[in-house]
Amino acid sequence: MATHTRYYTLRKDDLNSFIVKLSRDHKVVAPVSKGYGNFAFAEVTSSNDIVLKYIPTILPPKKYFFPQRETILTFSTGRGENAEAILEHEDTVIFGVHTCDLNGIQCLNIVFSERPRDYNYLGRKDKITIIGLECSEYCDKDASCNLMNSNFPNGGYDLFFTDLGDAFMVHVNTQAGEDLVENANLFKPASPEQMAALYSLRDAKRALFKNEVAVDRKDIPAIFDKSENSAVWQKAGEKCVGCGNCTNVCPTCYCFDIADTMNLDLKSGRRVRSWDSCQVEPFARVAGGENFRSGQAERLRHRYYRKFRYSLGKYYRFFCTGCGRCTRACMAGIRLKETLAELVKEAL
Amino acid sequence: MTKPKIAFFDLSCCEGCQLQLANMGELLLDVLELVDVVEFREVMSEKWEGNFDVALVEGSVTDDHSEERLKAIRGRSKVLVAFGACAATGGVNGMKNSFDLEEIGKYVYGADHKSFPTRKTRPLHQVVKVDYTINNCPAYIPELVEVLKHILKGLPYAVPDYPVCVECKFNENVCMYERGAACMGPVTRAGCGSQCINNNNICYGCRGMVSNPRENAARDIMAKYNITPELIAKKMEMYNKCREEEKNVKKEHHH
Ligand code: SF4
Ligand code: SF4
Ligand code: SF4
Repeated sequence: MATHTRYYTLRKDDLNSFIVKLSRDHKVVAPVSKGYGNFAFAEVTSSNDIVLKYIPTILPPKKYFFPQRETILTFSTGRGENAEAILEHEDTVIFGVHTCDLNGIQCLNIVFSERPRDYNYLGRKDKITIIGLECSEYCDKDASCNLMNSNFPNGGYDLFFTDLGDAFMVHVNTQAGEDLVENANLFKPASPEQMAALYSLRDAKRALFKNEVAVDRKDIPAIFDKSENSAVWQKAGEKCVGCGNCTNVCPTCYCFDIADTMNLDLKSGRRVRSWDSCQVEPFARVAGGENFRSGQAERLRHRYYRKFRYSLGKYYRFFCTGCGRCTRACMAGIRLKETLAELVKEAL
Repeated sequence: MTKPKIAFFDLSCCEGCQLQLANMGELLLDVLELVDVVEFREVMSEKWEGNFDVALVEGSVTDDHSEERLKAIRGRSKVLVAFGACAATGGVNGMKNSFDLEEIGKYVYGADHKSFPTRKTRPLHQVVKVDYTINNCPAYIPELVEVLKHILKGLPYAVPDYPVCVECKFNENVCMYERGAACMGPVTRAGCGSQCINNNNICYGCRGMVSNPRENAARDIMAKYNITPELIAKKMEMYNKCREEEKNVKKEHHH
């Protein structure tokens, strides 16, 4: 596939026509309001319900690649082998994905491409077209996307939209993106003035976004190497209620559980996989009742190490995108930026 | 193959869980294909004199009479199911345990209270061996069906031991704490599909607590929302008072 580095523009007034057209041939999902300042990706058929200025949705777009619950196999219990793998995917366009969530999807792509490859995930990924949307300023104070290097576009999309006021700058990154642009018949090549506007928006961003925790990104692994026995974990562990919200809303958490369920005929059934969370009691419990991570402080520490230390050894990247969801979703008020700041302070 | 003989009984309860069967609609017909209902006071007058393959008992044990009845049912049943919150965890009946029994007797029965001897509320497993548990107030139909399938297949059913928040987040609800309401989700066992929160209500904790609830953390959270310790205690106890007796009774019949 050729690499495309083309810029188009779409007039803001034409966004609705674009979404309406798209939704004729694809399922289109985009951020919509859930009330109380919360948002969620949901199906849309016009631009009316789409919120362009939104804080990260309750669940990240990973739910379209790796649903909360999915049937992966159907079986019948008679004689002989009788099982059928289920691969369900639907042609979907995700509109309005922030750069932090693009980063999250890239993390999951790596994980689920490892052997044995996960065909349920990869099959869906093949059918999903991603349209990114740039944040020109911070969504809120809980984000740490500059620290995690995910506040600027860095691939992982088909099209990428930047709001320039009366028009969107649209970067085409793939053939699938190019096709959407061509079929829509609404896009125009970007003018030099519009390109200049894009560059000045990026300059303004560089001035606005600063590391949200006073630390150099490359020092984080060494800080974690020193922090295994930090009092920070005990302190936060006391507050943590073990609800699992922080992992369920995290764009890079991918643990799952698998269970079989019988149908009412008692002769056939299905195998369902669902998201699991390292923060809940049964996660590390094994037959016989032993629990390998029985304390909440250990569980909490484990989550942080999965984001800031272990993934570097395994995948050479942080598995935190700085989206801030774990902070927003924590009713106990455990805030990622604060935890990191305390670790930094201790390690210095 | 003969269909398993199944019977329904009620102790102290509102019979709402049995009513849930009627609310099953077409699913009920599928279930009735698989079983032979031999006793069910709420819908039929017949009584069965023999033994039961499966007895579903609703309600809690609140006096000596119901204790005797339960033991008799246990004696006649291969499989005994605690059906609904009152049977599974004591449910709202447990609130009685916060009061002096004499006092509460007077309050309810007045001068006649001596004719109605009462005891601390107990869920079934604090009195007899229970093979399956169907939580929730009232029983949640999808889980009821799931447990029945497990019984008929002879498989153990594990009630989820993670909190309601997990299902709540799967359903992408805006958290009640973000709406300024104190929710029991973080300490309550999942399995209900977070139906209350899906319908804009808080979780009251009707399914009982997870095996290792982080109660202090939960109290701290509620306190941040300006809820008085008394109200927090009430929220915690509304469905969970009978937990207190757990340690005292465990050994009696679990060997
Ligand atoms: S750890 Fe928190 S901030 Fe980082 S990606 Fe996960 S939810 Fe976002
Ligand atoms: S969201 Fe907060 S309270 Fe819940 S498990 Fe995560 S850190 Fe603990
Ligand atoms: S609304 Fe209740 S159940 Fe849902 S996440 Fe919040 S505390 Fe948990």
